[in-house]
Amino acid sequence: MRKIMKLFIDENIKTWKKLSTKILIIVILLALVGTICLVQFIKYMNERNETNTLPYEDWRDDIQSNIEGIETTLASEDIDEQTRTNLTNELERYQLALEVDTNPYSSFFYWKVKVLNKILELRNGEPESEFISKLTQVLKENDFSGYIQIEKEMAKKSLDNGEITENEYEDQIVILDLREEYRIGEIEDEDTWREVLILEIEEKQRSLRTGIDLTTGKILTAEKKQETEDDIKMSIYQIENNKPNMNFANNNYRMLFEALAPGFVVVMIAIMAIVMAGGQISTEISSGSIKFWALTPNKRWKILTAKILSVLFYIVVITFIMAVLTIVSANLFFEGNGTEYLYVENGEVQVIGNALYMIETYFAKIIPVILFALLAIMLSVITRNTAVAVSFSVATYIGNGILMAILNSFIKKDWIRFIPFNNLNIYSKIFPNAENIMDIFGTTGTFATNTSLLFSLAVLGVCTILMLVTMYDSFNHRDII
Amino acid sequence: MANTVLEIKNLSKSFGKRKVIDDISLEVKEGEIYGFLGPNGSGKTTTIKMILRMIDNDAGEIKVNGYDTKKQFEKAMEYIGAIVENPDMYRYMTGRDNLKLHARIRNVDEKRIDEMLELVELKDRADDKVGKYSLGMKQRLGLALTLLHKPKVLILDEPTNGLDPAGIKKLRDILKEIAHKEGVAVFVSSHILSEMELMCDKVAVLDNGKIVKTEEIHQKEEEPTETIELRVQDTPKAIEILKEKFEIEAKKQNNVLEITLATEQVPSVVKELANADAGIKAVIPKEHSLEDIFFNATKGGNENA
Repeated sequence: MRKIMKLFIDENIKTWKKLSTKILIIVILLALVGTICLVQFIKYMNERNETNTLPYEDWRDDIQSNIEGIETTLASEDIDEQTRTNLTNELERYQLALEVDTNPYSSFFYWKVKVLNKILELRNGEPESEFISKLTQVLKENDFSGYIQIEKEMAKKSLDNGEITENEYEDQIVILDLREEYRIGEIEDEDTWREVLILEIEEKQRSLRTGIDLTTGKILTAEKKQETEDDIKMSIYQIENNKPNMNFANNNYRMLFEALAPGFVVVMIAIMAIVMAGGQISTEISSGSIKFWALTPNKRWKILTAKILSVLFYIVVITFIMAVLTIVSANLFFEGNGTEYLYVENGEVQVIGNALYMIETYFAKIIPVILFALLAIMLSVITRNTAVAVSFSVATYIGNGILMAILNSFIKKDWIRFIPFNNLNIYSKIFPNAENIMDIFGTTGTFATNTSLLFSLAVLGVCTILMLVTMYDSFNHRDII
Repeated sequence: MANTVLEIKNLSKSFGKRKVIDDISLEVKEGEIYGFLGPNGSGKTTTIKMILRMIDNDAGEIKVNGYDTKKQFEKAMEYIGAIVENPDMYRYMTGRDNLKLHARIRNVDEKRIDEMLELVELKDRADDKVGKYSLGMKQRLGLALTLLHKPKVLILDEPTNGLDPAGIKKLRDILKEIAHKEGVAVFVSSHILSEMELMCDKVAVLDNGKIVKTEEIHQKEEEPTETIELRVQDTPKAIEILKEKFEIEAKKQNNVLEITLATEQVPSVVKELANADAGIKAVIPKEHSLEDIFFNATKGGNENA
């Protein structure tokens, strides 16, 4: 063991002193710098666009001309009663809008717009309803809480009339309570992420009520049902703790950066690892320096073990450094909250903090890279040709996603889940709730079949053992020339 | 009596159907410089690689300091230092860093590194990258590397390849010093006869995978002898004079006489021949006495085969 340790230290020193190692590390750093620049550029472009689209100030004139148009139509006589009523209702909506100074076409999520629409709907549908005056009242008084109260009353009435079930009523009350407590929809120009979450919660509530997954149209299994319940809990947690999703958080470029950076950087680390690993044996054999090690009192398997460990060591250390640098640069160059990971355990929402989550993200994404590094070492031992080992490994790393996408779409058999490439997406199995804006390249097997984390790890484990056996056998028994 | 530190018994190896090494046995003792002589492709490097277990042997056994290299590889390798083919080191690292890598594995301290650098006279270039070294410097650094852990057996494969005469002399002196003073057994392969003759205590001649001759080389310091090629006009007269006055038996080959005599005798022989008017055209000292051994041995081998 001590001998392997000494060989391992030697290997690391040797690798570190190599110029190519330093170049590769610089390339990895450039990937991070590039991501920072890219996101800053997106931010710059978006902000420039925003200043170009000034808020629309002339809506009052538009409404005024609409009113005039309707009045002209009403003045003519060749329209039937129904149309006349509808137009009158429409007219009153515009007038009310002007009165409470609300653009009825601004945001669908703005409560005043909702009230205006609701009043119109009621006037058209059930003009006798007592809620029309109540709604007009809260609108004029600018009373958001009052509006929520009326919504609750309307829900209660629907329940009493048997229009909705008990469950549906309760679900609606949950939503309305959320709206009231966190003033969702109170301001006109607010971030839409909370509204989006509310919509998601509503949809999931419907799924649970009906027992059918509304996005896929499939019947909910017990497992899926649990998942949906957990999702609702997490969404509510997000609203309660003001933790927006990345996709809908306006202008949170930090989250965008944190989603992009690990993807870019891991690809670069993978290329570095493959280049390092692919040269491990073959370069030494072609340059003769393998004799440097073969002449030491160490059995060959120890020499190979030290080399493998050295590659792994480099991967792990660089991954850790890059994770830390990502966290640091996210804090330095971007504002806002960092990405956090939510999950539900024992019915409680748990949070993995930003720094820890970033580190875990990197390491989860690096697991497949280790496999490709081992593949490169194996090819290096067997073929003794660096070019073959490196190019084949890189090609497999980059191309497996596409290859699998094609294969999986043609082969509808159960055994495809045993293909190692279909099990590379360890990250999304460890973090099933993570938001994926995109998986850079197909490298992580986005199209992987639905297998569990343990299954994937088992397949990859078997694969690793096979590669190790092959490379040790070859290295132990072939002549060193 | 000196101990045997490298023992090869009935070693054989085939590549496919071709028998590369055929039943070789030899022993190298402490403090002995053992020359392993043979033309290119005779199996010298293959033998060395088998000693170091870079190549697996088909039959036979190899013992280093009593340890079987196959069964007790790591033990046996503790006592071996070797350069095979070229002294291959990491070109992008300095000489000292290369030595340090080895020193860690061999449990050698920094002081020994400096000692070795001094021995091979590389101290002032030790912090240059190996890529910038000349071939001679690389050879010397390789030697320092192999001597770091004070091996009992030093195996060198064509160590003088590409060295200039001064470099060869330097190498020879170092090898003689470590062999004769420190008792290291040195096993040197080469195809250059003159070198072997100057360096070795014992020479084995290898041809077509067989040892065709083993020869002790006595370097008689007290009474040096010389082999001389004589070209004279009157050959029979010269032979007569040599026989009568100096009791030297001359070999005649195409009007060229070859005689072996004590170095002291050379002036008087020349004087006598000149006086006798034998018509001396040339007196050529012949250094390559090994050449004869070699050619006779290898030719014989070829004819037998």
